[in-house]
Amino acid sequence: MATDPAQGKEQQVGARRVVTDEGPGVAEGSAGAPVRQTNLWKDAWGRYIRNKAAVVAGATFLLVLLFCAIWPIVSPYDPNHVDFALKSQGPSLAHPFGTDNFGRDMMTRTAVGGRVSIGIGFAATAAILLIGVAYGAISGFVGGKLDNGMMRFLDTLYGLPYLPFAIIVLAIFGDANFWTMIVALSIASWFTSARIVRGQIITLKENDYVRAAKAVGARWLRVLGRHLLPNTLGVLIIAIFLELPGVILGEAFLSFIGLGISPPDASWGQMANEGRAVYRVAPHIMAVPSIAIAVLILAANFIADGLRDALDPRTRET
Amino acid sequence: MTKFIIRRVVWTIPVILLVILLTFVLMRQIEGNPFRTSERAIPAEIQRNLERKFGLDQPAHIQYLRYVKGVVTFDLGPSLVLRNRDVNDIVRDHFPKSLELGGLAFLFALLFGIPLGALSALRANSVFDYGAMFFSNVGYAIPSFLVATLLIYFFALEWDLGFPTSGWATWKHKVLPVVALGLGPGAAFARLVRGTMMETLQQDYIRTAKAKGLRWRRVVGLHVLRNSLIPVVTAAGPTLGFLITGSFVIEQIFAIPGIGRYYVTAVTARDYSVVMGLTVLLSIIVIVANLIVDILYGILDPRTRDART
Repeated sequence: MATDPAQGKEQQVGARRVVTDEGPGVAEGSAGAPVRQTNLWKDAWGRYIRNKAAVVAGATFLLVLLFCAIWPIVSPYDPNHVDFALKSQGPSLAHPFGTDNFGRDMMTRTAVGGRVSIGIGFAATAAILLIGVAYGAISGFVGGKLDNGMMRFLDTLYGLPYLPFAIIVLAIFGDANFWTMIVALSIASWFTSARIVRGQIITLKENDYVRAAKAVGARWLRVLGRHLLPNTLGVLIIAIFLELPGVILGEAFLSFIGLGISPPDASWGQMANEGRAVYRVAPHIMAVPSIAIAVLILAANFIADGLRDALDPRTRET
Repeated sequence: MTKFIIRRVVWTIPVILLVILLTFVLMRQIEGNPFRTSERAIPAEIQRNLERKFGLDQPAHIQYLRYVKGVVTFDLGPSLVLRNRDVNDIVRDHFPKSLELGGLAFLFALLFGIPLGALSALRANSVFDYGAMFFSNVGYAIPSFLVATLLIYFFALEWDLGFPTSGWATWKHKVLPVVALGLGPGAAFARLVRGTMMETLQQDYIRTAKAKGLRWRRVVGLHVLRNSLIPVVTAAGPTLGFLITGSFVIEQIFAIPGIGRYYVTAVTARDYSVVMGLTVLLSIIVIVANLIVDILYGILDPRTRDART
């Protein structure tokens, strides 16, 4: 999905080099390269750690991940255990997030649902970036007429709503599970990442060390694999956190309108959908998974901001 | 400039054809029989007749060409499930409501997003700025179904302010859905405008304008705001996609008989011609919107014209 606020920023990132500390010719040769690379990442780490909002966001993000990974193992409750005696209870000591319409422990279900939502989120993001890298690298590297055509194609498709296409893809598979959701959510969402990668490759191509590599007769595959793609790593890491919110929201939307993950399996969108019928009497059933989504997306946005400042000091706001 | 516009317009034609083709190919992969209304199998003869009636017995490329011809002449074909109903009828019934919802939400987003972002930038790092940015960051992150449910819960039920919770008739029906749908894009606009305005405020020409004694209010209105709004134009395209996506959820929650709600119904009923017609329609709207944005952008910022032609 094209997240709109990021739009202007993405273009900035795309248009600028991430590896600003390196002088011309540094990456050429193998002896000195690893040391310089460590420096770049150390620098970035130092800048990131000084950004308070980004650190808090990073810690929150990790906490949510840890909670979803560990809590289902240590929790005393089975996420699918139905007990109507405990139906729709508000938060209590025994059930900190309350219980749902079927008397299932919401805290355990939130963790289990988070595994599905976040898992789909990361997997679909990976798929989106993979397609984006392939498309963007070819377009940017080959250049000329092909680049022109490929980019014009993207320009026109930019902002195409992914939801109708996701729904059609799910209808084709006839079943919404972990894997089909990934296909559905990535099929019409890779346009932005392709643009970012292409912009990055174009900028890098003009660098002296790339010209030097070409001049000494490096084959195109080497230039692309050794010099261009590794230097897009910075923007790709930022792109992960720019794409993730959209994908997680996409999963939630699909499950919420009843076309996504089907019960009794939990995902955050699915849980919110279940809470929708009873929001009047038991608002927490819908609120808990929705807040989980909001917290994760909020954290991802701040992480993306922090990473951009850390990896590309020139775009830093004063 | 004219050359740029012509090129840009010409380019959208193959893309629209391609989008129709993609949708067409995707739709053909869906299994299931739209003519089956009960558990009983339809006799082969009737099935054949129905397929002939809807042109489904023709080879794929003929069907595609016929469909493209239909799109060009604004005839999206008959519904496969509802007797005596065309996709055109369905669009006519449901589209205006979605258009109104989306348009009002977009307007709402502009009206609260731009001033909020601009004031934040002008009072950077003040309490107002922090509050506004906290609000927009949270507003952007909360899924719209939670916003909608909260609005219903408090404004319609708890406080009983007389807002209906479903339907689309009077202005009172429209307030809550429009706010729920527009909050996310509005928050995004606020963040965007604040960011670009902070950048613009640092520019040399702003300092020059100040130095030559121009009143601050005029500097802001004439130079800062105008240059800061360009990214908002660029963001308009993706925002449209965002609104379409959001309307699927919002129309469901508020029971608004719009396109998004009908789309889900049509998918479940396997009414392919409706699903396909609506998908093509939504795609063309976005593609045309992108075209307009690009041309506007070319007018606002002449530098981009050369880069893109």
